[in-house]
Amino acid sequence: MAAPAASHGVSVEVNGEQVELEVPARRLLVHFLRDDLGLTGTHVGCDTGNCGACTVHLNGEPVKSCMLLAVQADGARIATVEGLAADGELTALQRSFNEHHALQCGYCTPGMLMSATALLERNPRPSEEEVRVALQGNICRCTGYVNIVEAVVAAGGGA
Amino acid sequence: MLLREVEYARPATVEEAISLLGSYEGARALAGGQTLVNVMKARAAAPDVLVDLVDLDELRAIGFSADGLLEIGAMVTYTQLVGSSEVEVARPILAEVAATIADVQVRNRGTVGGNVCVADPTNHLPPLLLALDATFTIRGSGGERTVPADEFFVGVYMTAVGEGELLTKVSVPPSSGAGDGFAGLTIGKHGTYVANAAATVSDEGVRIALGCVDAVPVRASSMEERLAGGDFSDDAVQGAAEGLGASLDPPSDAHGSGDFRRHLAEVSAARAVLQAASRRKAA
Amino acid sequence: MTTVTEQPARTLEKGYVGQSIPRKEDKRLVQGLGTFFDDVRRHGMGYVHFVRSPYAHAKIVSIDVSKALELDGVYGTITGDEVAISTDPFFEMSVEPGGNIKDYALAVGRVRHMGEPVAAVCAATRELARDAAELVEVSYDELPVLVEAEESLKNEVVLHEDAGSNVVWSGVFEWGDVDQALAEADHVVRIERLHFNRFASTPLECAGALVEYDRGTGEWTLHCNHQMPGIGAIWMAPSLRVGIDKLRFVTQDIGGAFGNKICLHPQYVVLCLLARKLGRPVQWTEWRTDQHTANAHGNERTFLDVEVAVKADGEMTGFKVRALDDCGAFPRYEPLGCIIWAQVTPGMYGWRNIKVDFTQVCTNKSPVSPNRGYSRMQHLWLTERIVDIVAAELGLDPVEVRKKNYVKTEQMPYETPNGCVYDSGDYAAALDIALDLVDHGSIEERRREAASRGKLLGFGIGSTLDSGTNNFGQSTLLNPDLQFSGNNEAASVKLDIFGEVVVTLGTVPQGQGHETTAAQVVADILGCSPDQVNVRRGHDTWFNSHAGFSGTYASQFAFTGLGAVKGASELLREEMVQLAAAVLQAPVEAIELADGMARIKDGPEEAALPFMALGAIVNANNAFLPPDFNPTLNHRYVCRPYFGMVDTEKKTGQLTLTYATQIHAAVVEVDPDTGEVEIVDYAAVDDCGVRINPQIVEGQVHGATAHAIGAALSEEFVYDEEGTLLTSNFYDYHVPHAMDMPPLKTGAMESPSPVAPLGAKGMGEGGGGGIHCICAAIQDALATAGKPIVSTSCNPPHRVWAMLRDPESSRAGVAVVSK
Repeated sequence: MAAPAASHGVSVEVNGEQVELEVPARRLLVHFLRDDLGLTGTHVGCDTGNCGACTVHLNGEPVKSCMLLAVQADGARIATVEGLAADGELTALQRSFNEHHALQCGYCTPGMLMSATALLERNPRPSEEEVRVALQGNICRCTGYVNIVEAVVAAGGGA
Repeated sequence: MLLREVEYARPATVEEAISLLGSYEGARALAGGQTLVNVMKARAAAPDVLVDLVDLDELRAIGFSADGLLEIGAMVTYTQLVGSSEVEVARPILAEVAATIADVQVRNRGTVGGNVCVADPTNHLPPLLLALDATFTIRGSGGERTVPADEFFVGVYMTAVGEGELLTKVSVPPSSGAGDGFAGLTIGKHGTYVANAAATVSDEGVRIALGCVDAVPVRASSMEERLAGGDFSDDAVQGAAEGLGASLDPPSDAHGSGDFRRHLAEVSAARAVLQAASRRKAA
Repeated sequence: MTTVTEQPARTLEKGYVGQSIPRKEDKRLVQGLGTFFDDVRRHGMGYVHFVRSPYAHAKIVSIDVSKALELDGVYGTITGDEVAISTDPFFEMSVEPGGNIKDYALAVGRVRHMGEPVAAVCAATRELARDAAELVEVSYDELPVLVEAEESLKNEVVLHEDAGSNVVWSGVFEWGDVDQALAEADHVVRIERLHFNRFASTPLECAGALVEYDRGTGEWTLHCNHQMPGIGAIWMAPSLRVGIDKLRFVTQDIGGAFGNKICLHPQYVVLCLLARKLGRPVQWTEWRTDQHTANAHGNERTFLDVEVAVKADGEMTGFKVRALDDCGAFPRYEPLGCIIWAQVTPGMYGWRNIKVDFTQVCTNKSPVSPNRGYSRMQHLWLTERIVDIVAAELGLDPVEVRKKNYVKTEQMPYETPNGCVYDSGDYAAALDIALDLVDHGSIEERRREAASRGKLLGFGIGSTLDSGTNNFGQSTLLNPDLQFSGNNEAASVKLDIFGEVVVTLGTVPQGQGHETTAAQVVADILGCSPDQVNVRRGHDTWFNSHAGFSGTYASQFAFTGLGAVKGASELLREEMVQLAAAVLQAPVEAIELADGMARIKDGPEEAALPFMALGAIVNANNAFLPPDFNPTLNHRYVCRPYFGMVDTEKKTGQLTLTYATQIHAAVVEVDPDTGEVEIVDYAAVDDCGVRINPQIVEGQVHGATAHAIGAALSEEFVYDEEGTLLTSNFYDYHVPHAMDMPPLKTGAMESPSPVAPLGAKGMGEGGGGGIHCICAAIQDALATAGKPIVSTSCNPPHRVWAMLRDPESSRAGVAVVSK
């Protein structure tokens, strides 16, 4: 891949499935996921990488997919919100969101779930403060974060 | 939000990267992308070629040089800094400050090299590294050179890294009992700085660096001199900070006037020094 | 989070209503399987990018699209000249001269705010449309820029030549006799200037639409997120010179709106024209920068020459004010904001002598749009600032001044000086709950403790009303020729062929949980479980289940939306009972609906018909029914609240029917060196009458509080002298993130509304209580630092520092004249 090119073939594992596609170098990962792969669960909420609605996992770490080019994901493992519930069976975190009314319009929710899922993987029983730090890169305009934080703490078995 | 056409290359070695950067005019190094991709989305800059440094493992190392300097590869992410035991032992202020940059997602991608090479006057690391007396190793086709912080930062978005060159590592002296501090005002928690200051108090004296008030981080030399006597009481430090603002000509914007930033520079410098002094280990 | 709930007697028998059942919407949303408009794709669709003005005010000299058209993959373009030929200007609501403003879908001849769309390009991909837009060459002749409303009033630079004046509307509202009240007052408190800053709710999902045009029928389908399609169609259809029925609005999931998705018609008309011109579906997604620069700001309002009449015992008998409202470059939904505040003219207080001299002007800034708390929030901020400034200047306790002057619960329903009727509420009791939640008694001790740490602690209250269920007749108080009055909302409920309960709403939910709350209401009426009730997602004109005022806005769903659902369900219920009676051969009175069945009360097990049987009989097996009995099991109901007419001369009338109460209390610590404000304790008490789903109500309270905290401490649309918006992205326009939010305590009361179908008042907007209490708390905190007056709604560190540095300047406009 040493010679610069305006378009590249990428090979990416997305939610456990291998995808091979030719993409323009300039295409953002979020648009690759939404437009090329039809995975519209990952959302765009801003133009400057602040809102986190586009959060996915890249090799297990939460990142903002609007701040990555699709070509940068070549050879990597991507997880999106669509990959959380296996066969329609909601995860404990997703169920907790429902129980605690942690979503209203649902637009920030996929990003929140991806950030929170990553948190719970590395810190299974986070405190409220730790949850707020983990979700600092995810903006919500509906909930004031109150129930979101509660839902994540509860999913971790905390208060 | 949508980039102009660009070409992308992913070199396997530092030499390949330098060669690409030197061969294509308008080639830019792509590190974490947390600034560059934004800039390209806004079409405020449009490099012709992006040279992705992701595969250059050589640039991801954190370790110690033969003479005990903490060496941080340019591609080390903020998350890595925060989790590094070497950093915790040698110069924990780096991890402390890195942990306040933006959010987890940005910290997983953003790099030390990116933070300093972008040289945005509001960035966290430039004033901190100036206060810590860090040095910067730059490699080009002609070889390698090391540059001190006050020569590295040249202007707004401008550093000593020239065309066809790459920053490979940042070297920071270990604390050896020095106390470090960092203070300022941000736009919201963990937001962009409006004014900040970094300070180090050691046996060698005080070093104070201010961010956000000029094109590059600046040393508060007069304030350092006033503290040369070693009195770091509240009154002494506040007194030493007086007049610091008057020597500055900071920008005005939606978050504050030049006057407000002059005032904040004094407040931040005093707080950073007090924090550093309180953390200094007795000789 | 501490929740304190008072439980007065409920006004109706509830099963599911009143319970916090988890939402039905969540299942798809937590899996990322929601359908927001940008998720919709059509074969052959084109992507649209707008070319926008880089100047705040300029003549358009020329537009050259030729280079854009040459780019491979570009399908077409459109400019203002074409728009001026193919469409008529949008309907304006004001009287002359404001009513003469010509507002087209694209700038015609002149641009009047930075970011105003000048042309549009459609191409095969998003990136290509963006590339092509850069190739459109527009040349401008700059004109002088107006960014201050007070400057605009002078009319030295006129923005709209067809109007000839920058004044969109002006009028004087006067009730009682304020001059006499001032003459008789023991104290007159004068406040020269208060300014409510420009901000907006900035929903996370930006505006947009995918528009298809059917050449066979001449109909457009807009897959979009317009939150009030009724008014959207009223603007768009005449502009496009077609009948209303040619516009089909389809909304599905919407990522928040808060009023900011009401004035989308200009961009939507461009999309309609392009779809028709290019013969393919076209899609546009607004960018964040464009939403901030060019879509929907909340009203910016300056209050001048306030005079308040106060008696020796602290009773406030009246006030007068000159209000100057800045609506940006185009009024659009304005000047309705010039009257909507009058829904809450006296705020929560009993004063009877009020004069408001109201003027609205255009400036070279983004057009405003209704924004959560629309127009009432600005006015209630004024009344709360008045109370706190009066208290501070006269050395009175702001808690006591409020309790003394609040409308009392015994006075409910209370008619305000301009004929609005506050339906129910106990403001003093709600205030007591708030005081209790923040442990008001310990404030002085906490103040001392904070001082020992070098911090200034302050306490403040914000009491507001969320007026809901609008009487659109209030528009005639601005323009007697307008043909709007009353309100309505529709819903349909049916039993499907196999007995499934299907509900279609006229409302346009953007996160308020309508599918769930509607299901709760239907379930209680039909005697089934909410799981059996299928509420169709979103709004679709083709459902034919909407009325002229359909949408979700103005805090009225609980009244009109659920009122329509209740009405339709009751009609359906009646038929189901009659049908069951006929089939089971029992009298109607003996039939009950329960457990998803229609059965004979206390009858044998076999004397029961599942819904499936009822549906099947009517739809597939109906021959045996008597000829004079023709059940359809499909009912549409329009909820029409009754208001009576407004009096355009006296400017009185019932402007809204329900009044939810919010009392917010904040304890803050101010860092005197940096001006940073930290909220260390916060309580929000809400009384919206009967709560259909308490958890959903509480969620709205949380969200409104977060919006208010952002508006109070960091969110401001700041312009420079050239009309450049300096806060156009989330770096500079800082909204609260998870770490910015203080711990929130909530309390609830339920004073049922005597006028609402379910006793539930509209709620959701809140009245900006958080802004009011934080301003009050900051002023209280700084009282020992020279007693500055907080005179702006947004107080980021630099403003707080300015007050600390020079309290005298902030006090300069405040004076007390005492007898």
